[in-house]
Amino acid sequence: MTNSDKPSMMSSPSFNKLIYFFTGISLIGFLDAVYLSVSHYTGHISCSVVSGCQEVLVSQYSEIFGIPLALLGAAYYLFILINSLLYIDNQNKWSKLILSYLPIFGFVFSIYLVYLMFFVIEALCQYCLLSAGTSTLLFILGLIFIKKNKT
Amino acid sequence: MKKENRIWFWSIAIIILVALTLIIINIANPNTQGSTVITDKEWYKGNSEAQVTLIEYSDFQCPACATYYQMINKIADDMGDDVQVVFRHYPLSSHPQAELAARAAEAAGQQDAFWQMHDKLFVHQNTWSNQSDAKDIFIGYAEELSLDIARFKSDIDNNDIKDAVKDDKRSGNQALVEGTPTLFLNGQKINNPRSYDKLRQAINDELSKLQ
Repeated sequence: MTNSDKPSMMSSPSFNKLIYFFTGISLIGFLDAVYLSVSHYTGHISCSVVSGCQEVLVSQYSEIFGIPLALLGAAYYLFILINSLLYIDNQNKWSKLILSYLPIFGFVFSIYLVYLMFFVIEALCQYCLLSAGTSTLLFILGLIFIKKNKT
Repeated sequence: MKKENRIWFWSIAIIILVALTLIIINIANPNTQGSTVITDKEWYKGNSEAQVTLIEYSDFQCPACATYYQMINKIADDMGDDVQVVFRHYPLSSHPQAELAARAAEAAGQQDAFWQMHDKLFVHQNTWSNQSDAKDIFIGYAEELSLDIARFKSDIDNNDIKDAVKDDKRSGNQALVEGTPTLFLNGQKINNPRSYDKLRQAINDELSKLQ
């Protein structure tokens, strides 16, 4: 990679910090999704705060084309995590683009899943809500990324 | 980043990621042994010191459970010295009155009438299971059992009672219960015996294994 590819704002300390938030939140999201994926396959989940994990986990909406949503979520968070590590490593522009715009899709999809939980399945699962929280935070961080990139 | 630093950076990142992933997989994997440990809050019949424990996960609205309860009651009556029979709630979401029925039994249990209510719920299952709200019928059963009705009404909606039912269901999930009734003989899930004699035989086999 040439120096011209490197964004100039990497010198800004606040921008440097932002990428570590990206890493931390995508790591939490990834581990949460791994937990849900394992629970999906074993058919067991213990819910200590909100009831309804079992209902959500076995509902017809928990899979798309036979692939558990939790597994797709894990892949999504892992992809974000790897890109944030790549960005820490070499500040490449593709990772920056992915970190800025991909969380928008993640966030929109999360809204749909939260809608399903509240109004269709009518059962809540704390681990799914945590995932909605992490995807919302990634979305906000992505917006800050876009804004800082423009200024 | 210098080449040497990059190697360190990626090595540490991958190690941390793999280690955390393995820890999470381990946490998410159920420990079926833990859920078959008997606590002092259980509803049981028979000898609490017995070497053999039979745990039943049951749903008051499930027709098969209504068939099994007599068999299990008879085991407790006939083999009560050698076996401890434990009842745990596993109300299925497909049975709209099952959770309320479980709470009714728990509420009766607060007045030392758990097993009487348990029997009544199974005997009259056909009467209440088709109702949209069976609470008044359960209150009627509490009256027949001469319970303190004000207390029963308050207990049936009590959060501790709701939690007790949820705790049982959670332990069932941990033990990979898929339907009702599900029986565990000394912690091992067994196929539902087709007759009283088969169940008695399974318990006797377990007893002879231990002696």
